[in-house]
Amino acid sequence: MKTVFVKYLSICLCFPFHSPRMASGSQEKLYGPSLLNFFIYNPKFGPREGEVRWLFSHMFEGSVSWHNSIAIFLFPPHRTFCPTKPAKSLHTQKNRQFFFEPEEHFWMVMVVKNPMIERPSKGGKPDLEYQEEEIFFALLHSQLFNGRFSKAMDEGGVALLRERLEKFFYRYLQALHLGSCDLLDVFGGISFFPLDKMTYLKIQSFVNQMEQSLNLVKYTAFLYNDQLIWSGLEQDDMRILYKYLTTSLFPRHSEPELAGRDSPMRPEMSGNLLHYGRFLTGPTNLKDPEAKFRFPKIYVNTENGYEELHLIVYKAMSAAVCFMINATAELTREFCEQLDNLVGPRLTLLASDICEHHNINRRTPGLEKEPHFKFIYFNHMNLAEKSTIHMRKTASVSLTSVHPDLMKILGDINSDFSRVDDDEEIIVKTMTDYWVVGKKSDQRELYVILNQKNANLIEVNDLCASQILAG
Amino acid sequence: MAADVHNSKVNWDIQNESLAPIDKLRIERSDSPTPGIVEGTEPGAAQEKAMFVHTQSFEDLTAETRDTVDGDQEVESCDLTKLSNDLSQLSTHLLGQEEEQGEAEEKGEDQKVEMFDESLASVTSQDSSPCGREDICDITSDAWRNQRKHVFVLSEAGKPIYSRYGTEEALSSTMGVMMALVSFVEADKNMIKSIHGDGYKVVFLRKSPLVLVSVARTRQSEQELSRELCYIYYQIVSLLTITQLNQIFERKQNYDLRRLLAGSEHLNDNLLKQLDRDPGFLLSAVTCVPLAVSTRDIITSSLQAAKAKNLVFSILLAGNQLVSLVRKKDQYLHPMDLHLLLNLVGSSSSFREGEGWTPICLPKFNPSGFFHAHISYLDSSSDLCLILISTSREDFFCLSDCKHRFLERLWRRNAFQNLLEALQTPTYPVDLVGIPELRHFVYKSKSSGLYTSPELPPTYLVDEEQERLMGLYQYLHGRIHNSRNPLRYIYHCGQRENLLAWVTSGFEMYLCFSPLGTKVLAMNTVTKLLKWIRKEEDRLFILSPQTY
Repeated sequence: MKTVFVKYLSICLCFPFHSPRMASGSQEKLYGPSLLNFFIYNPKFGPREGEVRWLFSHMFEGSVSWHNSIAIFLFPPHRTFCPTKPAKSLHTQKNRQFFFEPEEHFWMVMVVKNPMIERPSKGGKPDLEYQEEEIFFALLHSQLFNGRFSKAMDEGGVALLRERLEKFFYRYLQALHLGSCDLLDVFGGISFFPLDKMTYLKIQSFVNQMEQSLNLVKYTAFLYNDQLIWSGLEQDDMRILYKYLTTSLFPRHSEPELAGRDSPMRPEMSGNLLHYGRFLTGPTNLKDPEAKFRFPKIYVNTENGYEELHLIVYKAMSAAVCFMINATAELTREFCEQLDNLVGPRLTLLASDICEHHNINRRTPGLEKEPHFKFIYFNHMNLAEKSTIHMRKTASVSLTSVHPDLMKILGDINSDFSRVDDDEEIIVKTMTDYWVVGKKSDQRELYVILNQKNANLIEVNDLCASQILAG
Repeated sequence: MAADVHNSKVNWDIQNESLAPIDKLRIERSDSPTPGIVEGTEPGAAQEKAMFVHTQSFEDLTAETRDTVDGDQEVESCDLTKLSNDLSQLSTHLLGQEEEQGEAEEKGEDQKVEMFDESLASVTSQDSSPCGREDICDITSDAWRNQRKHVFVLSEAGKPIYSRYGTEEALSSTMGVMMALVSFVEADKNMIKSIHGDGYKVVFLRKSPLVLVSVARTRQSEQELSRELCYIYYQIVSLLTITQLNQIFERKQNYDLRRLLAGSEHLNDNLLKQLDRDPGFLLSAVTCVPLAVSTRDIITSSLQAAKAKNLVFSILLAGNQLVSLVRKKDQYLHPMDLHLLLNLVGSSSSFREGEGWTPICLPKFNPSGFFHAHISYLDSSSDLCLILISTSREDFFCLSDCKHRFLERLWRRNAFQNLLEALQTPTYPVDLVGIPELRHFVYKSKSSGLYTSPELPPTYLVDEEQERLMGLYQYLHGRIHNSRNPLRYIYHCGQRENLLAWVTSGFEMYLCFSPLGTKVLAMNTVTKLLKWIRKEEDRLFILSPQTY
C-alpha cells in the first residue's frame, strides 16, 4: 500500500496561544488548547456490543478514552431537536469535542483540551481554572488525497481503510498546530498573487504550451511565492491542494534553496546546470538509476464522481507548477526527463520575470511605511484571501502582528456573520481602545483593525471607507 | 395636612446630611454627560445609596450563591434561625404529605402546610394553559421541535420537573437521555456545558440537585442562556428554598418534584416569556413608572411611615414597573429577587381578589430561608400592587395594618389620585426625545440599578418583532459583556435596523435606529439622548431611595 495517504483536512482550531505562556506580571501560567484525541468512527461497524467500531484513534496525553467520546453517539439527544442536523460540537468544562460526518456513517471526532490558566494557590496544589475559549474547528471535507472512505471499504474492507487512515492521520496530526490556528484557517482561502496583465498572459501561454506538449497532463496549477496564479482544478479541490502545498509540501522543500548553490547542504539534485527546476514529488534525482518514478495520487471531484490523478509538483526558484495526470497512465523515466527538459528552463525564466515585476510593483511609494490599519479580506466566491495581519504564513506557526485578543474578536465577529445570511456591518471598540470593523457584503468579508485611540465612530467609518476605496 | 408634606420634606433633608438639596446637586451633576462620567453621576444615578445590591448587568449568575449570601446576613439572625426551624417543620410536613401520596387535601393537616398550599394554589389559580401547551405537546411534531427556546428542568435521577412546551410525561425518555449525558461527562470529573449544532444550542446548567437544560435557536450566547436557566432555578428555589430542595432529594433521590411544584409551571412559563421580552432581566435592572418627583416623594414617605417591626421591604409596583421601594437600613434587595417578585405578582391574578399572604424565598438574599410576603392590590381597577415583605410568619395582620396606614396617608395627601392619573400614561413614546430616526432605546444607570426605555414603536408591536428586537439587544449585550472579550462600543448595521450599544463605567445604553440612520446621526443621538434623560431623570428614575 504505497498510496500516499494524505487527506488534508481539519484546519482551524484556535487563535494564537503560545503554550505555555507566562502572563506578564503574575504567576499565572496560560496553556493553549491542545489536541487530546482524534477518532474516526463508523457506527455501522460491529453492530454487537463491545465490538470495535472505530477506524482510527489517536490519543494524546491519554486522559480521555475513546469510549468517552464515542458514547456520545450512543445517545444523541440533539437528534430529538433537529433530526436532520446533528450536533457539531460538545463543550464541557475541560474540553471540547467536535463531530464531523464527511460521509454517511463515517464520523470524525476530535477532542480538544480547553486552554486554561494555572494559578499557584496558597495550598501548594495548583489550582486549575479552565478558561472557556472559542475554538474554531472546520473540518474540510475532501477526498483529495484518499478518495472516499466508502470506496476504500469496497476495495479492501475495513482493514485496508484502517491501515490507510492510520498512515495518513498519524503524520497529519503530528503536524497540526492547534495553538496557532486563526481566522485565516477558518476561511481556508487561497491567496492570489497580484500580477500585471502581460506577465499573466505569459504564464497562461506557458501553461497552455505545456499542456499541449505533454499531452498526458490533464490539469495544471501555477503558483508563485506560495500564492496562486493559475489553476485548472475545481475551486474546492484547489483549496485543499493549495493548503497542502503551502503548509506541508513547500515548507519541507524550502531548505535546499536557501542553502545556496554551492553549499554542501544542497543535494546533487537534477545535475542540470541550465536551470533551477526540480521535482518536489517523485524522483529527487533523474540521473540516479535507482530512481523510482512514483508520484502521489490525489482524488478530485468531477461531475460523475471523482477521478484519480498523479500529482507532479515541479519547482524552479519561487515558481511552482503542479501537473496532474490521469492515474491510469504510467509515468516513466522518459516522461520525467522530457518534462524536466521542457519545463525547467522556461519556468526558470518565467520565475525571474515575475520576480522582476513583483519588485517593481513593490517599490511603489506609500506602502513602505507601517499603515495604521490592518485587514483580513475573504471572498467566498473565489476563495480569495488577503491579510496584512499575518506577517507570513509558515508551515507550523502563522505569525500575526496583532494581539491574540483582537484575533479572537475577529473570530467572534466571523461566527456572528456566519449565523445570519443578511449583509451586516459591525464596528466595535475594545477595552484596549482598538477599533475593529467587520463588514459582510454579498459573499465577501472584510475585517479591519484600527489603532486610533481617540477616533470616534464617524472618523473610523470615514477612514475605513477611504481605505477600502484605496485598497 | 399640607404642612405634613412639607415637614416630611424637611425631615428628609436633615436625616440625610450627605444629601444636598436637589437644586444644588443639579449643578454638580454634569449637564452634558460624557463618556468620562464616573459611576454615580450618570443620568438616573441615585443620589444616595442605591436600593439594590450593586450588580453588573453581565454578572455571572451561575456563580455560587453562597458568596452573595454572607455579609447581608446580620439580618435578625435569630429570626432567620427561627425561620429555618419553621422551615424544616414545614418541609417535614410536606414530606409527610408526599408519603401519603396525594392525600394532601386531607383535613387535619397542619396550618403551615395549608398556608403553603394556599400560596401555591393562589399562585396557580390562573388559567392553566398560558401558552397553549396542548397544541404543542406532541413531542414528535415539528411544531414542538421548532420552538425557539425549549427549557427543561430535571432532577439528578433524570425525573422530569418542568418543560416549557409539551408535557413532562412524554419527555421522560428525553430527559433520561439528558441526565445520562450529564452524568456521563461527570464520570470523568468534567462538566458538560453545551452542545452546538447547526443553528441551535443546547446549554446545560448544573445546580445540584437539579439539572436545567435549554435548547435555543436564538443568537444568544451560551453565557446568556445559562443566565436564563439560572433565573428558572432561582424561581424554583424561591418556592422551596435550597435547604428544602436538598432535603427532599437527600431523603428520596427519585422524588418527583412536580408533586410539590404542581401548579407553579406558569410561573416558569411567565418568567421565560418575560426573559424573552423584558430588557430588565437582561440588564439586571428594573424600570420605574414615570412620575412627578413630588408625587413619588409622598408615596415613598408614606411607605416609610407605614413601618412595622419585622418589615424588611415595602415595594409598590404598577404592573412590571416600580413606583417606589423602601427598605430596612442596610438591607439591599437584589434586582433578581425583585424580578422574581414581579414574576410572582405578574403571573397570577388571584392576588387581585384580596390580601395575599405567601412564604417566599428571595434566593439572592438568602437561599435557605423564607420571607413572608403580604401582597395586595391597592385598587381593583389599577395595576398598583403593594408587596410588604416581613421576616415573621405571624405578621399578616400587622402588615395588613401597614397597608391601611399607607393607603390612608396617600389619601390624606391626595397622592393616590395623582398616582392613578400618572398611571394613565405608564410609558412614553420615543418621539419625546425628538430624534426621528431613533426607534427605541434602553438606558441603564449602573449605580441605581434602574433602567428606562420608551414604549415600543409600532414596528415592534407584534410579538415576533418584539422578541426579535429583544434578541438583537440580547446579542449586543452578550457581545459587549462577553466574559473573555468585553467591548466598549458596538455599532451594528443590519438589514432592518441599525443598533448601537455603549457601556461606560456609569451607564450602558442600547439604541435602535431605523436602517436609514447614519453613523453621524447615531453619534449625535447619543449626546442628545443623554441630555434628555438628564433633564427627565427625576421623573424616570428614583433618585432618592429611602429606608425606614
